[in-house]
Amino acid sequence: MLTPLPVQKWSFENAAHLLNRAGFGGTPDEIETLHQLDPEAAVEGLLHPPNAPEELGESRSWTEPENLRSQLLKLGQLKGNPAEMRKTLDAMEIAQRDEMIDLRNWWLGRMRSTPAPLVEKMTLFWHGHFATGAPKVRNAYWMWRQNETFRRYGLGNFKTLLRKISRDPAMMIYLDVAQSRKEHPNENWARELMELFTLGIGHYSEEDIRESARAFTGYRINLTNQQFRFEPGQEDTGWKKFLGHRGNFSGDDILDLIVEQPACPEWISRKLCRFFVADEPSPSIVDAVANSLQQENFEIRPVLQELFRSAEFYSDRVVRMQIKSPVQFLIQSCRLLETTLPPRAIAQTALQRMGQFIFAPPNVKGWDGGKSWISTSSLFFRDNFANYLIAGTAGHPNAPAALRRTPVDLARIIPAELRDKPGELIAHLARRLFQTQPNENQTQIFLAYLQRRAPDRGDETMRRLLHLMMSTPQYQLT
Amino acid sequence: MPSPPNEMRYQTLHTRRRFLRTSVLGAAASWTLPVFLEKTFFALDAMAADSLVQTPTGKDGTILVVLQMAGGNDGLNMVVPFADDTYHRARPKLALPVNKILRLNSYAGLNPKLTNLKSLFDEGHLAIIQGVGYPNPNRSHFRATEIWQTASDADQTEREGWLGRYFDNCCAGADPTVGVAIGSEMPQSFTARTPTGIVLSRPDQYRFNTSDQSGPRMSEEEMFYRQLTQPSDASIAAPEGGSIGAIAGTTESDLSPADFLQRTALDAQISSDKILEIERKSKASVPYPKGQLANSLNLIARMIGGGLTTRVYYASQGGFDTHAGQMNAHNLLMTELNDGLAAFVADLKLQGNFERVLLLTFSEFGRRVEENANGGTDHGAAAPMFVLGGGVKPGLFGKYPSLTDLDNGDLKFNTDFRRVYGTVLDDWLRAPSESVLGRKFARLPIV
Repeated sequence: MLTPLPVQKWSFENAAHLLNRAGFGGTPDEIETLHQLDPEAAVEGLLHPPNAPEELGESRSWTEPENLRSQLLKLGQLKGNPAEMRKTLDAMEIAQRDEMIDLRNWWLGRMRSTPAPLVEKMTLFWHGHFATGAPKVRNAYWMWRQNETFRRYGLGNFKTLLRKISRDPAMMIYLDVAQSRKEHPNENWARELMELFTLGIGHYSEEDIRESARAFTGYRINLTNQQFRFEPGQEDTGWKKFLGHRGNFSGDDILDLIVEQPACPEWISRKLCRFFVADEPSPSIVDAVANSLQQENFEIRPVLQELFRSAEFYSDRVVRMQIKSPVQFLIQSCRLLETTLPPRAIAQTALQRMGQFIFAPPNVKGWDGGKSWISTSSLFFRDNFANYLIAGTAGHPNAPAALRRTPVDLARIIPAELRDKPGELIAHLARRLFQTQPNENQTQIFLAYLQRRAPDRGDETMRRLLHLMMSTPQYQLT
Repeated sequence: MPSPPNEMRYQTLHTRRRFLRTSVLGAAASWTLPVFLEKTFFALDAMAADSLVQTPTGKDGTILVVLQMAGGNDGLNMVVPFADDTYHRARPKLALPVNKILRLNSYAGLNPKLTNLKSLFDEGHLAIIQGVGYPNPNRSHFRATEIWQTASDADQTEREGWLGRYFDNCCAGADPTVGVAIGSEMPQSFTARTPTGIVLSRPDQYRFNTSDQSGPRMSEEEMFYRQLTQPSDASIAAPEGGSIGAIAGTTESDLSPADFLQRTALDAQISSDKILEIERKSKASVPYPKGQLANSLNLIARMIGGGLTTRVYYASQGGFDTHAGQMNAHNLLMTELNDGLAAFVADLKLQGNFERVLLLTFSEFGRRVEENANGGTDHGAAAPMFVLGGGVKPGLFGKYPSLTDLDNGDLKFNTDFRRVYGTVLDDWLRAPSESVLGRKFARLPIV
């Protein structure tokens, strides 16, 4: 069992920790606002944000399904004209790529500005859990639909989400369900469903995979409207053996049988704890969350409620012990610097270079996270990228328009009167950037730097100080 | 803008090991050895005692260069079965003219653009392995690349790369530069349990950059940055109870995230210094052609010549996915490959390093026997691998796959690519291939 955090321990630092993990961090003001609430209300506010995930403001090309069947037919008519077909295919390829860039930019924008950070953080979690890669799906509408499914159902009931994903076109394409034939069912989805999405290795047999694959035959995608449909003629309605049961199970039946296994809440709990708590969470936390999932019948909100209210969540072994994922690094840095996201070309290339190109996980296992984000190269990249976030392209007058960025507005984060008070300035910035104070050694180095730059207290010095502070190993932690 | 002070000099710490030694054994350390370094040092010693650890290359060990031909290289137009009627019938547009082929034997020869590779073959420095592939070939770029990078079976998914497993098994305690990939992303073959190796496209990007970066001299910021990443006694607001061991659920050999970050930052500085120094000192002794491949090979040659203790380099040549208009595109790629490798070999010979270097090429799949309707070819299966270097046993290995007995229209493999990896591991890198690849694969007499 998890024990609730005593109210007297509800500090600025703990409120910061909650925002860091349940969202993408916050400015000192935002943390303070959260801190003013009692811990229960703070967590409630994150779980039930005032603004429910709203529909897309303006319509985009990738929010509308298309009639892919007619597109394919038109393409087929070009068979006699290879040059024209090539041109059309190339144009389609480019359009798909541009739509994915736009979709990615849209999601990053949501993460940056949403008043419901936990919703977006859960969307990111499920995206890594039910990993699906755009390079195989090749359609931004389908990738967006999957993303919206995570957004709508991510904090609700896991069983509902699982069922939705089993019929999600992007997932069906990624794991080859959409072509699975009764005569020779495709086992890719059946295998990853149990191995990666629900149970983990050791809790099912190869026969279970083969038998359950039969239950997902007949799942198809209607190409005229890009929606899921059933193909009854392709469905194997025969008797199946699965996890010790027998019946003419449908795909939904298989899902029901899976979540009944004790291994399922354990598996989901472990994934949640690795994402929200620690790279190697203690067995007692994992057990407690698994129990909670079971008791709550897989409702995610009450499980997270208990976790985010618990003393264990705020322990020394958890707070500031998680390496920021590339997405966290990008979004949190922009929040802390009170600045906009970089132009899409930069932001998305940066995510690629840092190893977390959203919508394109390296494989169906998603992203490992933790220390795997950090290498000598990626550390240099993060440090140098921080410089770009702070300084923009001010020093590069020839920067192409698509890459230009204005420097951070220092007035927002550095009160004028502190520029001449190095000690207080550093403490003030540390509170913002680290949500705690640096150790003595580091403080001395920051002071020495300001000393070296004295008497210059201008914008350039301030920006360089910010850069130094954001280039510490500590800044990589959240 | 204030100029950097005269007393500023930056220490070049050659290897982490030497650094640790001087701190523990040597002179007045102005700070006590911090917890994480101490543990790392002793852990390294312990590991060295009873494992497969290899000492870093030093200046004389063998070096492996892996060259990826990305996109699916058309092996049939690289090693051409000119004497086979089926080849000419299947490729009315793309079949290369028989009289231009650089003959290797009475059946097959090299693409006309590969003149230098032909010379290398004649001089005895090139092994060509025909019909390389694996059971149940996959024709998807990303899945097939993953298979080649992880050396997995077609129905398994591995996260770690074959070189990553080599680093984990055999190079613990080595410099972070034990593996160097030229490019912008770490190749999956380098993925290891302990993140190892560096990726860079340009040496000047592999360093802490500040707004007023002007040339190789360290800026003020960099000087302070280095001080910040020096190990200190405590990290920010260190949790009570310390880090290692006190954390439930973590193993003792795991560094805490904060310590891990600190160590990586230190590694980054050390390797960055080395690379920048090498870049400054070392100049190419032969002219290289233009282009990204030649640049990559040039950079690798600089690092070899400059004495970097790297064991494995990785470079990539893109553009092989020739679904349309293949004739020109593929010939350009062959020219680029030929000319780039020619310069690289000449450079290494002048350095006196040619005997130490073995370069192997691979592609995620070959291409189909029949050309398509767009003057190109589609994804295929088996294809040749090239292995070249001063220590190579030359010749044609494997069998040229039959052009009529096909697997769904594609060439059938007769040499599993893991045999090539295994041979390189056992005979060139002197690493136990069975530990790295998971099982034994029959060797090839190419080294």
